[in-house]
Amino acid sequence: MFLLLPVFFPLAAGAAMLLAGRRMGKSRALLNGFFLAAQALETVFTILAAALGGDVTLLSLTGNLTMGLRVDGVGRFFGVLTAVMWFLTAVYAVSYLKEDGHAAGFYGFYLMVPGALIGLDLAADALTFYVFFELMTLTSLPLVLHERTKEAVRAGLKYLFYSVGGAFLALFGIFYLAQAAGSLTFLPGGYFTAASAASAPLLLPAALCMIVGFGAKAGMFPLHGWLPVAHPAAPAPASAVLSGVITKAGVLAILRSIYDLIGPAALRGTWVQSAWLILSLLTVFLGSMLAYREPVFKKRLAYSTVSQVSYVLFGLGLMDPLGFTGALAHVAFHSVIKTGLFLFAGAVIRSTGRTRAEEFQGLGRIMPVSLGAYTAASLALIGIPPASGFISKWYLAQGALASGTGVFRYLGPAVLLISALLTAGYLLPPVIAGFFPGKEPEGPALISGEKPPAMMALPILLLGAAAVLLGCFPGPLLGWIGRLAEAGIVG
Amino acid sequence: MSFVQNFPFFSIILAMFSGIVSSVLKGKKARVLSICAIAATMVLSAAVLAYCAATGESYVYWMGHFPAPWGNEIRAGVLEGLTALLFSAIMLLSVIGGVKYTQTDVEPSKQNLFYILIDLMLSSLLALVYTNDLFTAYVFVEINTIAGCGLIMITQTGRSLTAAIRYMVMSSLGSGLFLIGLSLLYDVTGQLLMSPAQEAVGEIVESGQYEIPLLVIVAVVSVGLAIKSGLFPFHYWIPDTYGYATPTASAILSGLVSKGYIFLLIKFYYRVLSPESVVRSHIGNVLFLFGVAGMMLGSLRAIMQTDTRKMIAYSSVAQIGYIYMGIGLGTPEGMIAAVFHIFSHGATKALLFLSARGLYRVSGDRTDFLALRGSGYRNRLAGVGFLVGSLSMVGFPMLSGFISKLLFATSAMASPGKMLTTLIALAVSTVLNAVYFLRLLTGLYRPARSGAYDAGAGPDGAAGERVNAPGFRVAVLCLIAFNLILGLFSQPIVRAITEGLAMFS
Repeated sequence: MFLLLPVFFPLAAGAAMLLAGRRMGKSRALLNGFFLAAQALETVFTILAAALGGDVTLLSLTGNLTMGLRVDGVGRFFGVLTAVMWFLTAVYAVSYLKEDGHAAGFYGFYLMVPGALIGLDLAADALTFYVFFELMTLTSLPLVLHERTKEAVRAGLKYLFYSVGGAFLALFGIFYLAQAAGSLTFLPGGYFTAASAASAPLLLPAALCMIVGFGAKAGMFPLHGWLPVAHPAAPAPASAVLSGVITKAGVLAILRSIYDLIGPAALRGTWVQSAWLILSLLTVFLGSMLAYREPVFKKRLAYSTVSQVSYVLFGLGLMDPLGFTGALAHVAFHSVIKTGLFLFAGAVIRSTGRTRAEEFQGLGRIMPVSLGAYTAASLALIGIPPASGFISKWYLAQGALASGTGVFRYLGPAVLLISALLTAGYLLPPVIAGFFPGKEPEGPALISGEKPPAMMALPILLLGAAAVLLGCFPGPLLGWIGRLAEAGIVG
Repeated sequence: MSFVQNFPFFSIILAMFSGIVSSVLKGKKARVLSICAIAATMVLSAAVLAYCAATGESYVYWMGHFPAPWGNEIRAGVLEGLTALLFSAIMLLSVIGGVKYTQTDVEPSKQNLFYILIDLMLSSLLALVYTNDLFTAYVFVEINTIAGCGLIMITQTGRSLTAAIRYMVMSSLGSGLFLIGLSLLYDVTGQLLMSPAQEAVGEIVESGQYEIPLLVIVAVVSVGLAIKSGLFPFHYWIPDTYGYATPTASAILSGLVSKGYIFLLIKFYYRVLSPESVVRSHIGNVLFLFGVAGMMLGSLRAIMQTDTRKMIAYSSVAQIGYIYMGIGLGTPEGMIAAVFHIFSHGATKALLFLSARGLYRVSGDRTDFLALRGSGYRNRLAGVGFLVGSLSMVGFPMLSGFISKLLFATSAMASPGKMLTTLIALAVSTVLNAVYFLRLLTGLYRPARSGAYDAGAGPDGAAGERVNAPGFRVAVLCLIAFNLILGLFSQPIVRAITEGLAMFS
């Protein structure tokens, strides 16, 4: 029963915040205290739930469809990652929204989303998963809408339509599987084998629907359009978790539907796998290219997310233990790095008001520590050893070479390398301009502003350090993920 | 014979007599009487449901104890009991929720007339649900039409008068076709009671005679009732009718009246013909096709609207399409899904019409999207009601609409020929629903342009609460709860529908 706590406590806490926030708003300290305390509790609950394990049946919906929660390896991995990222960003958010009169509304929904996310991570079947998936969209929408400007509303609508449209596309697959597989409970290894897949004629289209539909949340082409619009419009903490955590829910959705529902054996070597790999590689390249051409810093980071999350999807699509390990490692690393990068972008906006990447001249004088952390995180994302991105990309390339997927064995690593080059091209210029503006900079004048407060700098520093350290000491994490990959998930 | 077996008859007569008594009462008393009658009906229907569920079989009740072929018969089983219960519950909530709006929309001297019409509507709906006799059904179809027209035009605005006339023309056409079908059936079989008619039809089908007249009967009755329930392409009367009536009337007309006809059609298929002969006549394919077309075009038209009232009305066209699609699948599962959607849509539409009116009220009685901007803050309860209703229509999980879609989709899997069409239709229409409902919802929670509605109700909620009458609050909360219950604990209801349909044949 303990599993219910990390799922329903944040929903209750968020609702309480929304109801009482107006009254609490007069005392800012109380509001912030409640917010951080609730968030810390949620993190503790999640970690405890992950440690204790267990399973709960919530209700039985119709006939053979039940809804329930249970802890498994993948759920534990995503759950802990979500809880930690969410807490670090919460600490930052308190400082970021210091001047914001409507902070209570933001806090309320910010508290609620992890309930939906942990629900996703712990869902025992596709129906529960779908419920929490929609709940996540609905509760995270107000985070995008927070500024209430015209752009924010447009971005919110776009986010909503892409997410809901994608989810309904995937729902088609769920409906089909409910009938074809006879059950929606997640089963490691899935319900179909290469032989039994032949008896379900629509299985492959259904699988593709689920990949493309859930891929909307992960920013996979062709449903990636919401990311570059939603991120700049949302407040920085919201962009950070949207990119760092919520896109991973799309990854988890595809992972669950392919590995725990349909079964990788049924898809290996089919046109669906090829389509999946083509879409993900295309997104990797397209995202990097668009990021390289994008001058608005937060938009650039958003395109970068489009590209990087598809690294993960590529790894999953290989259906190979090494690729799977690389994919999950990249989930963790990208989550740490991208959260850090977006928090940095927010800190720059708060301190100096500048949003375009070419205007960062002399930033190193104002916020050397944060820019340093940004540099570390950037190097990690590019994949320069020994920082973390190198490890995951190494495994992804190894997985591709070992996977026996024909032309993708060579094409995959090549695209990854080109994209890494582009990543360096779009992440490093701000570092160069920030630390080495030159004596008489051309273009915009030297930047001026205040040092970011410690509460904002600290999470950025922690994330930047983690981005490097996770790469230096990857042993425990890789051991854990390797066990997940072996534990029957890759058939 | 158990005393409970009288209850279906009692509830019809009770509703009818309260209408008659109301004609000499003042508006307020008529209202109280009407609400009491509906509540009593609800209790009686619940007793019938409990009785039938306990005994596990349906029964036929002779009115006046004349044997066939002269008598009037009522038949009650689990499905009839359940339908009567849910219909009267939705009706009760619609009436209670709209009391205040009825007072403002209907002129004082006509208040009691409004409640007379409500009573007549209730009795005719119950009769359509319970009847086991086609001619009684026809009589009550007409009563229903007249009551419906009255409910539409009682607001006495220009638009509602034209809507009522349009409704009357289309409805009379529908009843006319239904009557022709009955006459033909009587010609062929010599029966008007359902059970003997079914035997006679069975014999005729076996003997191979009258194939064409039987086909014509099926077609004419189906088309007649389809016109009356607003199946595409006979939906042109819907937008004005639902759009310009007072919210109670809109909720009842859209949520219940069109469903009453569909229920009668289902009964006709199961009790007069047989599911097999319906499948053989291919009428199911026709209904399926038009149902799917209605789902698409209704939603597309809804997207094109900028007036909320019309948008909700066009969404009804789409939802009626869902129901006919389920019937058209021609499988028991499809029928179960269709019946479930009757209830789910009834509850949701009532919620939408009521809460939408609550939103217009705080937006200067304007109904276009622009005026409604930010109204979710000005009238919080109505905003939440509209939110839940829309999400349910779109098919968000935990709400009744999701279960409907789930049932439709799973039933589609069992009918191979129509599987792909159904699934694609469901997917496309869901996305279309999402487009117009979510667009409006985002508007509701987007702050209005500054200074537009400062006088009415502040954003602090305190003034927002006061705009809602107590009845409205109760009704909206109950309907939200109703939606959640249908969404979360659908199993007993689905089981009851399955049992009830099994009792039909």
